Amino acid sequence: MKRKKAAAGGEDIGRETRLELYRLQLELRYCEKRAYDLFLQNLVKGTSHLSLGQEAIAAAFGVAMRSDDWTFCTYRGHAHTLARGASMAGVLGELMGRQCGLLGGKGGSMHLTDVSKGAMGSYAIIGAHLPVAAGAAWSAQYRGTEQVAVCFFGDGTTNIGAFHEALNFAAVWKLPVVYVCENNLYMEYTAIHTVTAVDHPAADRAAAYGLESVIVDGNDADEVYRAAVQYMDRARKGGGPALIEAKTYRHSGHSRADPAKYRPEGELEKWLEHDPIKLYRERLAKLGVAEATLKDIETDAMRKVDEATAAAKASPVPALDGIERNVWADGGAAWRN
Amino acid sequence: MPQLGETVAEGTVTRWYKKVGDAVRADEALFDVETDKVSTEIPAPASGVLSEILVVEGATAKVGARLAVISESAQAAQAAAPAQAAAAAIPAERAPEAPPDRRGTAGAAGRLSPVVSRLIAEHGLNPSELRGTGRDGRITREDVLAHVARRAQPPAASRQPPVASLADAEVAPLNSVRKRTAEHMAKAWAAVPHVLQVVEVDFSKVDEARRAAGAPWKAREGFSLTYLPFIAWAVTRALGSHPRLNASFGGDHLVLHRRVNLGIAVDLGLDGLLVPVVKDAAAKSPAELARAIHDLAGRARAGKLKPDDVTECTYTITNNGAYGTLITAPIISPPQVAILSTDAVRKRVVVIATDQGDTIAVRAVGMLAQTFDHRAVDGAYAAAFLNEVKTTIESRDWAQELAGDSEG
Amino acid sequence: MAELTYRDAVAAGIAQEMARDERVVFLGEDVASAGGVFKATVGLLEKFGPKRVRDCPISEQAIIGAAMGAAMTGLRPIAEIMFSDFLAVCWDMVANEIAKTRYMTNGQIALPLVIRTANGAGSRFGAQHSQAVENWAMAVPGLKVVAPATPADVKGLIAAAVRDPDPVIVFEQKSLYSTKGEVPDGEHVDQLGKAKVLRSGKDCTVVALALMVHRALEAAEILEKEHGIACTVVDLRSLVPLDTQTLLAETAKTGRLVTIEENPRLCGWGAEIASIVADECFWDLDGPVVRITTPHVPLPSADQLEDNTLPSVARIVREIREKID
Repeated sequence: MKRKKAAAGGEDIGRETRLELYRLQLELRYCEKRAYDLFLQNLVKGTSHLSLGQEAIAAAFGVAMRSDDWTFCTYRGHAHTLARGASMAGVLGELMGRQCGLLGGKGGSMHLTDVSKGAMGSYAIIGAHLPVAAGAAWSAQYRGTEQVAVCFFGDGTTNIGAFHEALNFAAVWKLPVVYVCENNLYMEYTAIHTVTAVDHPAADRAAAYGLESVIVDGNDADEVYRAAVQYMDRARKGGGPALIEAKTYRHSGHSRADPAKYRPEGELEKWLEHDPIKLYRERLAKLGVAEATLKDIETDAMRKVDEATAAAKASPVPALDGIERNVWADGGAAWRN
Repeated sequence: MPQLGETVAEGTVTRWYKKVGDAVRADEALFDVETDKVSTEIPAPASGVLSEILVVEGATAKVGARLAVISESAQAAQAAAPAQAAAAAIPAERAPEAPPDRRGTAGAAGRLSPVVSRLIAEHGLNPSELRGTGRDGRITREDVLAHVARRAQPPAASRQPPVASLADAEVAPLNSVRKRTAEHMAKAWAAVPHVLQVVEVDFSKVDEARRAAGAPWKAREGFSLTYLPFIAWAVTRALGSHPRLNASFGGDHLVLHRRVNLGIAVDLGLDGLLVPVVKDAAAKSPAELARAIHDLAGRARAGKLKPDDVTECTYTITNNGAYGTLITAPIISPPQVAILSTDAVRKRVVVIATDQGDTIAVRAVGMLAQTFDHRAVDGAYAAAFLNEVKTTIESRDWAQELAGDSEG
Repeated sequence: MAELTYRDAVAAGIAQEMARDERVVFLGEDVASAGGVFKATVGLLEKFGPKRVRDCPISEQAIIGAAMGAAMTGLRPIAEIMFSDFLAVCWDMVANEIAKTRYMTNGQIALPLVIRTANGAGSRFGAQHSQAVENWAMAVPGLKVVAPATPADVKGLIAAAVRDPDPVIVFEQKSLYSTKGEVPDGEHVDQLGKAKVLRSGKDCTVVALALMVHRALEAAEILEKEHGIACTVVDLRSLVPLDTQTLLAETAKTGRLVTIEENPRLCGWGAEIASIVADECFWDLDGPVVRITTPHVPLPSADQLEDNTLPSVARIVREIREKID
């Protein structure tokens, strides 16, 4: 296991890439905030799990991945799906239960998918997608396509069986998959250290399966980006799987229902000081990016979210004939003749 | 079962003198028993009400078996019957682990199975006429079908008319369509009491419209405008005011269909008949009906009908006019309750009543013949329907209807 | 026609499809070098090599999850779950993920994969290695379910399952592996969702699946010869899609329906069959629908106990005699 420190100068990442990283983090932030506003307006129903505070990880991979690579994410997957270029109106529309939703209203917040962008699904049963990502990686390995599967999950996932089965499976078959644990310190409502004996719930276990792992500051987009590039490249070239444990923090509760009262006083404030977007804006300024350029990116991102919101609101609710569509490949739901 | 002689082990009940529910006096003749030794009349052992017969006529029972239950009164009979029946009904050789028999009261007067009740209703039978051969005298499906077959057979004398020698004939085997048609027709004819009614219809107004619109129609649509769509339109109208003919017969009820799905019989030569269905025909104009019928008939002949095209028919029209027939009495396709035949329309001399007195004119006249299921409706109702069809055809401004195209 | 055992027909079916389509890969526990614990996949490793025929760790979730990931990215995997009881270990993958993903993604993700598994009793393995669980799979929308009874059917239905664009679970009855039967020469591909009428009789329609098909046929022979009861025997073969046309038509002909199931009583597949028949075929019924099932108990292991738990030929004969007039 390695530990990474943010490179002080950061000359290794080009200006355009950095601006792209900033733009994407902002879009994810604004879009998640908008999702929350829409929830307060009762336009978003059900549950949804926001990535506020964790945007650097999804954004860094979004920028680093090849367009034919595959993303597998959890029910906290709005950001990761958007980061692959999925339509924002499609994401907000799905949250609002509209026809324009990525899934036509049939999946909801926890199952965002856009196969055309390589976003291969959001999986709402903890751990389930780790073996699935291994399978996709196996397919890439079998066909020799040099595609990589990237699988995001939370710290809570490290205590479920599928995590352990998948890591062993990926390591023993040397599959081109990168596992990314977003360790935000809480499994759901419970602090991860109270239910796990090791300090780094993902990285400490990876070693046991012969998987190379690294711990990074998940709130530093540059640091995540470097790890992403390095391990995806290695996997692409046949070097096998890796695990990245990215330390981060959720600004809001686990889900809509959670006010996050269990957090000790001052913890949130401390992490807000280490907010990925604040941090990245300061870095860009220090690297000489003009204030006007940053402002333009911010304005554009907000406009994009506003336009997506308007488009989603304007979309009709799903047609009822969708209920019995797409159970089977023939498009229908017939189980009898 | 009484012991009728020391070596006798069983007896057959040949006749019951009382029915379930009848009052019985002690020593009154109750039933006849036949054994291999003797045939005798057995008197009732007590007075009361015959609440149950457990061994029906023709059935054999061991000596000592319970044959019937006489209750002290009607009320007591009802209360006692289930318990006694259950006690009497346990067969001797039941396997030890088998669950207790939970069937209700058995015997000839017991419940009828679904298929037996359906067949009894379809053939208009009385269950008491039937002899059950199932367990405990239950009437089975076989029993009903055997009864119907017996009833349908002609008297022995005329059963086998002399058949022409096969020497100067050839045997034409029936293909499967023919066989199915044969089966359906025979079944429908046997099950449904058909009644035929015919009205004579003056098609002059339709002819006027056909003359006026026929040529441009043919040029535009690529096929000729026949009488059929006009008749079909008039039929859908009349079905709206006579819903009991746009119905399915269900034994003890009629299902009145909200949609009019009009079947049009299409002849396929030796391949039999097909009846494609114009769905929601009542919502269509004569022009739309013409197109729909043309489309379905064409696809029927080309073998290109979709499964959905031949289902959910609620009323059928068969069109024999092309061959110059005067009247055809068609067979109903159950559970539909009626079918209309349209025959040839030809010039006739007719007497017309005018204010100036009767006069003779040449008019296009044809017969519309409807057979209906007399179980579903009576003659007056069916005749009123036919009359409405006739009036519509004779009085409608068809040119207007055609011009409006989709006007209904 | 060649005579094959059921187990050889399994291997023949997989081999036929692997030879035809490079996208077909096969994975499971002990399936490659060992040829399967039931020896149903002997020779596949030799024929197709370790890249396509892969031994896996004892990780049912990983096996099924990997099959799913491979299927959604262009392969057509066949995954083996050694005993169908172990489906419970990876039921999340089967019931929550594989079954629902196409629907939840509104058709974006296709999962052309096959799960094969040894199902059912008759081998004295006890309650955790003998269950007939095809009814579990039948209850989940999005899964196709077949359970072949003969070598020809197992080969043909595996081939059909591999070619089907949807996930299919093939339940192989483990005590049939050593049975023999004629299998058509050359390429043999069957059709999912088609029942077979194996015998026609006028008195009663018997519907069975897998092992119970053989017992139903034997019972029908005895019923006809010794008791004058003529049975139609239908091998359902496929639970999803379900051939209700054959089921309803054959039931209507005799007016009586008997289902013979290896499933324990509650919610066995026969319950659904009975419900469909009661709903759509009521006016053709000449008596109550009869279900002959395993009692609602976990399966015992000892010869005597197991034999008396499953529906036996003697029990089928007895129950049909008692319940059919």
